[in-house]
Amino acid sequence: MIAVTLQRNKCIGCNYCFEIAPDMFRMSTKDGKSILVNGEDKRGFATVRVHDEYEDKANQCKEVCPVKIIKVHQCKVKK
Amino acid sequence: MQKIELMAPCGNWESMRAAVMAGADSVYFGVEQMNMRARATANFTVDDLKEIGEYCNSHNVRTYLTLNTIVYDHDLSIVKTLISAVKEHNITAVIAADQAVLNNARTAGVEVHISTQLNVTNLETVKFYALFADVMVLSRELSLTQVRKITDGISKEDVRGPSGNLIEIEIFGHGALCMAVSGKCYLSLHSNNSSANRGACVQNCRRTYTVIDNESGNELEIDNQYIMSPKDLCTIYFLDQVADSGVKVLKIEGRGRAPEYVKTTIETYREAIDALQNGTYSQEKVKGWMERLESVYNRGFWSGYYLGQKMGEWHDGSGSKATQKKVYIAKGAHYYPKPQIAEFLVEAQKIKKGDKILITGPTTGVIEMELDEIYVNGQPAEEAVKGDQLTFKCDRIRTTDKLYKMIPNPDV
Repeated sequence: MIAVTLQRNKCIGCNYCFEIAPDMFRMSTKDGKSILVNGEDKRGFATVRVHDEYEDKANQCKEVCPVKIIKVHQCKVKK
Repeated sequence: MQKIELMAPCGNWESMRAAVMAGADSVYFGVEQMNMRARATANFTVDDLKEIGEYCNSHNVRTYLTLNTIVYDHDLSIVKTLISAVKEHNITAVIAADQAVLNNARTAGVEVHISTQLNVTNLETVKFYALFADVMVLSRELSLTQVRKITDGISKEDVRGPSGNLIEIEIFGHGALCMAVSGKCYLSLHSNNSSANRGACVQNCRRTYTVIDNESGNELEIDNQYIMSPKDLCTIYFLDQVADSGVKVLKIEGRGRAPEYVKTTIETYREAIDALQNGTYSQEKVKGWMERLESVYNRGFWSGYYLGQKMGEWHDGSGSKATQKKVYIAKGAHYYPKPQIAEFLVEAQKIKKGDKILITGPTTGVIEMELDEIYVNGQPAEEAVKGDQLTFKCDRIRTTDKLYKMIPNPDV
């Protein structure tokens, strides 16, 4: 599993993450900023855990984000 | 001579209070991501509009919300939200570029000003946008003769905006220029995927470049490597000609710059405009004003395209040529209102009696002063060092304030 995080208050609504991964992000029609689908919000940082197969897409979004507010990391495996 | 409105850039509360105190007639600012400084760390939010409206209206300062980025479909709702907030909180006008914003604002009965992004360069265009807007900023690439032609045309042909008044023409008076026509630049988008037209310019034009002909391998010989970074615009030394060209509003650039920049620039242009008004504008005064403008952030000055120069003038270094710079010293700790004593906790370098200081904060705005008398931990002293409790007589300060020491810039 990987975890994807979005710090949405800094989003400038450029639309690129949605272009790359429409099943992971969508654009809010309320405030024009990106929303992490099924993200759990914690002090302005939304996080979602997704299957490894999304890793490439998530990393592309991270790369393409002009304000660098998308983070991708491996989830720690509980033993 | 007609009165020129002085319009100040405000990227945050510090700058806004500094601008109002310094004598601006109007302020412009952006909220959230819908403005051309979206990348700035401290932007206003929709919730700030109420306080901005109340604060500026109580000081008789007009307020303009910049809503001039490219607008996508997913932005239409926030555009509507912002326009109704503008109406609700008595913000004077919105500065618009996109037709969706123009139309929405007009429908809602909100005054519209045309942004530089629309690149207005002739009378026909002014007439077209007069269906929507009362004030228009002209393209920065026009000469004053061309500006004059447009302002003359407006009065001759009686071009009126939705308010019924003659269209007012605004031009940029001072601040950064960029190499792109009216800021329509794709450099940052191509290199960093970060669109300047969505307020996310990474300013890569301000770096050094070498130009090599790939076919021959020859490198182009150029004056300096800052080939895309123009100097800053400054009009104070020909402000009489600017006024003669019939412009009604002088806009100062710099929403991304520090509050002391806003204070100094607005104070200086305020004096110059007032001097024009009462007939005391002179080249001797200009000398003093130039010195003051040079003390804050600048890339060197030139007259832009107003006087009809053939070539642009380019900056030859990175960053500012300001003659002064600020060094962080202390944070606000307490204020004793009766004896008017400010208390700061020194957190960084030492500070001496006689030093020039700068205090900034979201409520305080900007205070500039010289330290005549200081007390350290309650005792009269010559200097304060890290960890000391520094007190001195001063106007009201807050715990959110920061104190800086102003020193000569060693790089200039």
